Amino acid sequence: MSKGKVVKDLMLDVFDYPHVPYWFTLSQAIKIIKVSFISAKKYPEPLAILVFDEKYNLMGTLSLKNILTGLEPRFMRPTTDAQAYTKEGPELALIWSTLFNKESKDLAEKPVSEIMVPAKYFVEPDDPITKAAFMIIHNDLILLPVLENKKKFVGLVRLIEIFNEISDAVLK
Amino acid sequence: MTLLDRQNHRKLYVQLYDIMKKKIEDKEWSLGFRIPIEQELCNVFEVSRVTVRSAISVLVRQGYLIRQQGRGTFVSKKVISDKLTMFTTFGELMLEEGIDFSTDMLAQTIMMPVDDLADKLNVSGDKHIIYIKRLRKVDNKPILIQETYIPFHICPPLLEEDVRKNSLFELLERKHGIHLTRVRNYFDVKYLNADEGMLLDLSENSPALVLTQHFFSGETQIMYMRSIKRPDSFVFLIEFEKTDR
Repeated sequence: MSKGKVVKDLMLDVFDYPHVPYWFTLSQAIKIIKVSFISAKKYPEPLAILVFDEKYNLMGTLSLKNILTGLEPRFMRPTTDAQAYTKEGPELALIWSTLFNKESKDLAEKPVSEIMVPAKYFVEPDDPITKAAFMIIHNDLILLPVLENKKKFVGLVRLIEIFNEISDAVLK
Repeated sequence: MTLLDRQNHRKLYVQLYDIMKKKIEDKEWSLGFRIPIEQELCNVFEVSRVTVRSAISVLVRQGYLIRQQGRGTFVSKKVISDKLTMFTTFGELMLEEGIDFSTDMLAQTIMMPVDDLADKLNVSGDKHIIYIKRLRKVDNKPILIQETYIPFHICPPLLEEDVRKNSLFELLERKHGIHLTRVRNYFDVKYLNADEGMLLDLSENSPALVLTQHFFSGETQIMYMRSIKRPDSFVFLIEFEKTDR
């Protein structure tokens, strides 16, 4: 990792990522992600899309995992760890597929605001990338918004750029 | 059945467009008819899905077809008054001009095109769109909900402009040098949903006027605007003058 590298050296432009307002439904968000999957050139996939409010303030992110969680039939969701459905094998898949048609299509009409992860962690463009790495690792993030003067949203740092930077330094 | 001519210099999607348009005009595909799904059209005409999508997109833009999420694509029941083309100065057609509105900003943000918005704006589905939603009032009475969609690449600074006080058209033309050369207007009637009714201070399912406008600069569509109006607040006057040409 070269010395003095900062967040803005790795940052992706905001408009390299799909945007949705919070009132979009999960099914609309899924369609947008699928369009981006096909047409994205600068990145192999959007692992998450950005959710904004009416005044173009970043509210949060919606990852593929968030979407799948949002589509998961309620019956499958444990209310505590102790209640988690741990049985493996074909029954689990059968339960999900039976419930999927009944419930998941309805769940896909929920607004993304109910599923997204609120944006709580940020870095500044001139922060060292080690700070971004620390925040991504310890908060289990796949991307980290970059704010200028703690206000204006200017870009993103993804897990993959941090990984590439640090792994290159380790292997060097 | 008419097939595509691969020796013809015209693009395949244009040939397919012509065939589908003729089916509609000849009533082979009647009003409300659900057209075959994309894969079926691919098989019948032996073309790629991209070709089928391009042909359908043009027909949707021109009002011949309408897409309904989860249901399919249908021959539009709307009558398109293509023959009723008129030319006038823009000021006379802009609802923003000449009326002393006050404005509540409901949204000025970015979104991706959903449903048939990409077709309406003639952009690809991965393009960012500036979305502006305003509630117009006269004497503090809500009379008009105006939703505007502009491809982000057409005018990025518009995202930060004050469109509550300033006319969108003046900003585009005078400040950003984007000249509007053509507008296509569609008048329609709809029944308000709960949100629209609340904003216009009317009950849900009340009838309202809808003006849909496609704005062009040269051949490029730069804006799509949908205005929902209280029916008791507007009278449209369209006057035609016969010339001796």
